[in-house]
Amino acid sequence: MLGRFDYQRPSTLPEAGRLLVGNDGPAAILAGGTDLFVDIRGRRHDPRILVDIKRIDALRRLDVDPAGALTIGAAVPLNEIIECAAIRRTFPGLVQAAESIATYQLRNRATAVGNLCNASPAADMAPVLLALGADLIAWSPRGERTISLSSLFVGVKKTALAPDEIATELRIPAPEPGLRSGFLKQQRLRGHDLAVVSAAGTYAPSAGVLRMAVGSCAPTPLLVESIEVGRSSKAVVEKKAVRAVQAAMRPISDTRASADYRRAVLPVLVKRLVADLLAEGGAP
Amino acid sequence: MPSGLTLLEFLRDRLYLTGTKEGCGIGECGACTVLLDEKPVTACLILAVEADGCTVETVEGEATDGRLSILQRAFVETGAVQCGFCTPGMIMSARGLLRRNPNPSDDEIVEAMAGNLCRCTGYEAILEAVRLAAERGRSCKVGREEGARVPKQGGRR
Repeated sequence: MLGRFDYQRPSTLPEAGRLLVGNDGPAAILAGGTDLFVDIRGRRHDPRILVDIKRIDALRRLDVDPAGALTIGAAVPLNEIIECAAIRRTFPGLVQAAESIATYQLRNRATAVGNLCNASPAADMAPVLLALGADLIAWSPRGERTISLSSLFVGVKKTALAPDEIATELRIPAPEPGLRSGFLKQQRLRGHDLAVVSAAGTYAPSAGVLRMAVGSCAPTPLLVESIEVGRSSKAVVEKKAVRAVQAAMRPISDTRASADYRRAVLPVLVKRLVADLLAEGGAP
Repeated sequence: MPSGLTLLEFLRDRLYLTGTKEGCGIGECGACTVLLDEKPVTACLILAVEADGCTVETVEGEATDGRLSILQRAFVETGAVQCGFCTPGMIMSARGLLRRNPNPSDDEIVEAMAGNLCRCTGYEAILEAVRLAAERGRSCKVGREEGARVPKQGGRR
């Protein structure tokens, strides 16, 4: 037995909203459960009721509109993102980040929105979605609001979501023509591991702006100041990118790496990322 | 049924389908891999009630009429089974892979099986088993014919 809790599987958002607030003890939203159940088992979380949102049809949306804007519902598992041909074509960095998470079995359950709502500093989906300028849509009985991803994370495992709010979908704006994106992750071992540090970036030659975000080197994933590429050489852009990242990062020492190691390795990752993004043809 | 019962506990302790194993209990080792609506998942991180209305396939569904499936036979023939604890999970991950991709490359096999840990074999024999099963599956119209006899099952109560 994982724990003693009630389980409800609403089919509409209003029903889910009522379940979240109308109870004696704390409620938890259940999507993939790959973080939640591990926390319940480890006694870090003890909800009285689980509200399973996977059967709410509105949350299963995964679509790309004619302009290329992408919507990812809160109940969409990572493997659906990875296997979506349009996403693979347009947002390779998103696919790289999703593929780096856990194992095939877990990716059949784990969701992108859940990865964000769990708000780990090491959340692999966060940097690339920050760089892509994604918004998270939150629903509550009071209405719907749009939260810019850069203001979603407020601390380690803490988000700007209110207790009665349900994150319903991610919206990623239509890409500029020729947009390139990439994600790189430093791990302790080859295979499945959390990030020691991670970096994601986007670059559209037509706009000449490089956007970057980094993970595992501050209490929250961080969007770094954009860099005007213009006619600068790769070496200059690399230097600017490394400087921007170093100014933003506030690493700690923990079980996965020391702060010094994170400070040393992140510039290496950033240079690789910049080289990939600026190269003809974009990130691999 | 109590809400807190995992799919793994339901299979093993209520249905006595003890082929599916519990290893880590936190989705790291893959020993409890089953197919949920044809997709490999770790049964330790799913509630039994979440599976309501879904199709669940376990290693018990592999053999037919007392004969091992092609996939199971490939594991036996290549020596991909040593202590055997990881095998049911391995089989189910491989079954999921071969169903969505009957002709996988080595890289695709490795990625599909990477969520299943084995402490005995060193993985090479497992890779070989899945390759062999894929090859035989392609040349065989009926997936499960001419298998070896299934050894007698223990644990049925």
